[in-house]
Amino acid sequence: MLAILLSVIQLLFLAILAPALSWFIKKMKAASQNRVGPSLIQVYSDLLKLFRKNMVISETASWIFHAMPFVLFVSTFAAASMLPVLGIRSLFGFTGDVILFVYLLALGRFFLALAALDTGTTFGGMGSSREMTLSSLAEPALLLAFFSLGFCAHTLSLEGIVSYFASGSPTQMLFFTSLAFGALLIVTIAESGRIPVDNPATHLELTMVHEAMILEYSGRYLALIEWSHQIKQLVFLTLLSDLFFPWGIAGSWDPLAFGLSLVLYLAKVFFLAFVIGWIEIHSAKLRLFRVPDLLAVAFVLAILSLLGQLMIGRGV
Amino acid sequence: MKPVFQKLKEKLGSAILEVSEGTAKEWRVFAAKDSILRIAECLIEVFGMRFLFLSGSDTRKENKSFTLHYVFSYVHQDQFWIVQTRVEEKDPQFPSLAPFLPQVNWHEREVQDLLGLVAVGHPDPRRLVFHEDWPQGFFPLRKDFGPHQKIPRTAALYAFERVEGEGIFEIPVGPVHAGIIEPGHFRFSVAGEGILKLEIRHFYTHKGTEKSGEGKTPEHLLCLAERISGDNSLAHAVACTQALESLGQIEVPSRAQFLRVVFLEMERLHNHMSDIAGIALDVAFSFGASQLMRVKETLLSLNEELAGTRLLRSVVTLGGVRPDISEVKKEWLIQEIKKIKDDFDKTIQLLWQVDSLMDRVKTTGTIMKEVAEVLGGVGPVARASGIDRDLRRDHPYAAYKDLFFRVPVFIEGDVESRMKVKVQEVYESFKLIHDALQAMPQGSLCGAVKLLAPSQSALGYVESPRGECFHWIVTDKSGMISRWKIQSPSFSNWPLIEYAVLENIVPDFPLINKSMNLSYSGNDR
Repeated sequence: MLAILLSVIQLLFLAILAPALSWFIKKMKAASQNRVGPSLIQVYSDLLKLFRKNMVISETASWIFHAMPFVLFVSTFAAASMLPVLGIRSLFGFTGDVILFVYLLALGRFFLALAALDTGTTFGGMGSSREMTLSSLAEPALLLAFFSLGFCAHTLSLEGIVSYFASGSPTQMLFFTSLAFGALLIVTIAESGRIPVDNPATHLELTMVHEAMILEYSGRYLALIEWSHQIKQLVFLTLLSDLFFPWGIAGSWDPLAFGLSLVLYLAKVFFLAFVIGWIEIHSAKLRLFRVPDLLAVAFVLAILSLLGQLMIGRGV
Repeated sequence: MKPVFQKLKEKLGSAILEVSEGTAKEWRVFAAKDSILRIAECLIEVFGMRFLFLSGSDTRKENKSFTLHYVFSYVHQDQFWIVQTRVEEKDPQFPSLAPFLPQVNWHEREVQDLLGLVAVGHPDPRRLVFHEDWPQGFFPLRKDFGPHQKIPRTAALYAFERVEGEGIFEIPVGPVHAGIIEPGHFRFSVAGEGILKLEIRHFYTHKGTEKSGEGKTPEHLLCLAERISGDNSLAHAVACTQALESLGQIEVPSRAQFLRVVFLEMERLHNHMSDIAGIALDVAFSFGASQLMRVKETLLSLNEELAGTRLLRSVVTLGGVRPDISEVKKEWLIQEIKKIKDDFDKTIQLLWQVDSLMDRVKTTGTIMKEVAEVLGGVGPVARASGIDRDLRRDHPYAAYKDLFFRVPVFIEGDVESRMKVKVQEVYESFKLIHDALQAMPQGSLCGAVKLLAPSQSALGYVESPRGECFHWIVTDKSGMISRWKIQSPSFSNWPLIEYAVLENIVPDFPLINKSMNLSYSGNDR
C-alpha cells in the first residue's frame, strides 16, 4: 500500500518538476543571449494563467479536437507511470512494458497529428505531416535502443532493465550501451521538439513542427498540451538517467535512500537538461530534410549497439 | 553629352519629338506613346541604359492628357534619361513594355490601378495596388480624386495562378502573421515540402502616400518621406530632400554633405546588423542573433547621442542637416565605431564557424544573376547575385564622390552571399564613417532655403540599406508639388522572391525572406 502511494507521489513529483526543466533550459539560453530570463515561478504561472483562460475554438472542430489534449496528457502520464523515478519500482511496471511505453507516446502523437488536421488550417496539416515523418524515423531508433538494452538485461521491462543496470558495476555497460545512449539522446531531442530538430521559441509558422500542430489551441487545452509536452521531455530525461546513470536509485522505500535518490535524480536530470541546452545554444536548427539524417544516426547507433552485443557477447 | 542624343536622333529619327537637358544630370526625351517601345529598346540595347521606374501623372489641367515618365539610368555618363510621353484622356491606353522588359510589370500595373490608364499587351493585367474590394473607376492619382472621398467597397475574388496536379497543395500564408511584422500574403503551391510556385500579394498597407504629398510644403513632404519605411527613414528623407533641393536650386554646404554620409552610413549599419541577426535568428541560432542585436542597440544609442533620435528622424533638413558633430564628438564617435567594429568582428568570426548555420544558408534561396538582372533587382540582393551596382558609386550624391569605398559583390546569389554582402558593407560603412568624419570640412550646416521652381521636375536618389531609392518630384505652375513618385527598393525586389524560393522547401522560406529583408510599408506606400 505504501509502495503504491509512494509510486503515485513520485509520478506527481515528475509532473510538477517537468516545467522546471523547461525553465532551466530557457534560463540557460537567456544567459547566452545577455538576458536575465524568466524566474522559476514564471513557467508555473504561465501554465496557471493558461488553465484559467477561456478558449477560442474553431467552429469546424470535431470531437477529436476536444479529446486530443486529454488523450495526450493521459497517454504521457501513463507512459510516465511505467518509469522508475526515485525508487526502482514503477507504478505499472510489467514485462514487455517498453513496447507499451513507446506506443503510449505514439498514441498521444497520433491524436496530436489528427487534431492538427481536424480544423483544416494550413499550418496544422504541415505540422502533422512533418511530425509523422520525423517520428516514423525516431520510433524505430527508440525501440531498437530499448531492445539493445533489454537484450543486455535479459528483460523487456523498464523496471527490470533499470534494476539490472543499477545493480551491475558501472563498467559493464560501457561501449555498446553507450551507443544506445547516443541514440536515445537524439530521440530525446527530437521527441521534445528542441533545436536542432525543431525550434520551440519560433514565431515562424512555416518552419514549425510541434508548434504548428497546436496553433489552434488556446486556454485550458493549450495548458494541458504544454504541460504534457514538458512531462514528456522530463520522461525522456528520466529515462536517460534511469538507464545510463542508474546509480543511487532507491532500491527500497527507506527514507534515507529515498532522500539520496532524490538529490541524485535532480542532479542527473538537470545535468541532462544542461546537455540539451548546451546543444541548443551551440547549433542552429537543421534544414528539415537534414533531420532524417540525424535520426538515421540515432537508428544506426541503436542497431550497432544491438548487433555489437549479439556478435561480441553480452556485458561488453 | 551630345553624342548620345545625336545618335539617338539618328537611330530613331522622327520617333523622338524633342531632347532637352533638364536639371543637372537629367536628360529628357519627348516621344509619342507609340514609339516608347522602340526608344526603350534603343536606350537599353544600344546605350546600355537601365530602366529604373515608371511614373505616371495626371496633367490634364496643363495639356489635357496624362504624362508618363520612364526613367533610365545611364551609368557611363552619370546621367538619367527620362522618356516622357503623353496619353490622351480620350484614349487612355499606352503600349506595355512588359513583354520586352519584364521588370516594368509592377510599374505598369501600378499606373493602371492608380491612374486608370490601360497598358495594352501587358501579360498579367490583374490588379496590383488595389485589391478587389476597390470599386472600378476610382483612380486616386487623378486630380479630381479628393483625399477625403468615401470609397464604396465591392466584392470580388482575386484569381491566383493555380498549379494543378496530383498531390499539389496550396499553402496560403498571411496577410496576418504570427510575428510582429507587416501584412503581406504569400501563396505557395507545394508538392510535399518542395515549393513549385510562390505568388505574393502585397499592398495591404497602401496609404496613398504619394497622393497625400501633393500640394504639401517641402518641409511637410520631408516629414512624410521619413515615415515611408521606418528603418530606412533617413534614406527616404535624403532622397526626397535631394529632389527638393534640385528643384529649388538650394546649395547644400559641403560639411552637410559629409554629415549626410555619416548619418546614412549609420543607418546602413543598424539595418545590416539587424538583417544579419535576423538570419541567425531564423535558423534558430539565437546566440549569434542576440550578440548582433546588442551591437545594433549600441548603434541606435549612438544615433540618439548624436542626433537625438534613434532612427535618425529629422536629421536631414531642406538644404542641409540639423545636428552637427563637434570636434570632441567626432573623436568620441571614431572611438566608439572602432569598439563596435571589434565587437562585430568577433561575432562574425564566430558565425562563420558554426557549421549548422552555414549549412542552412549555403545554396538556399538562390537568385540567378539573369533573373535579378531581368527583374530589376537592386541593392544587396542584386549585389549578392553578381550584379555590380551601387548608386553611391554609379551616380554619386552627397559626399560619396570624395570618398573611397569598395562595393562588395558576390556571385552565388544564395542566402550566404546576401549575408556576406551585408557583412562586407558593414565594414565599408565603418570605413566610410571614419573617412567622412576625417575629411569633413568646416562650414555651415544648412544652405539658404529658396522656393521651388515652377513647372519643373527633379530626381533625388539614395542607395538605402535595401537598395536604390528614388524620389521624383514634379511642381506645377505655382511651384507647388503636383506629383511625388517614390520608388522604393522593396518595390523592385519583391518580385524576385518568387524566383528565389523555387526548388527550395517551405521551412526555408522565412530564411530566404529574411535574407532579402524587404519592407512591406516601403513597397505599398
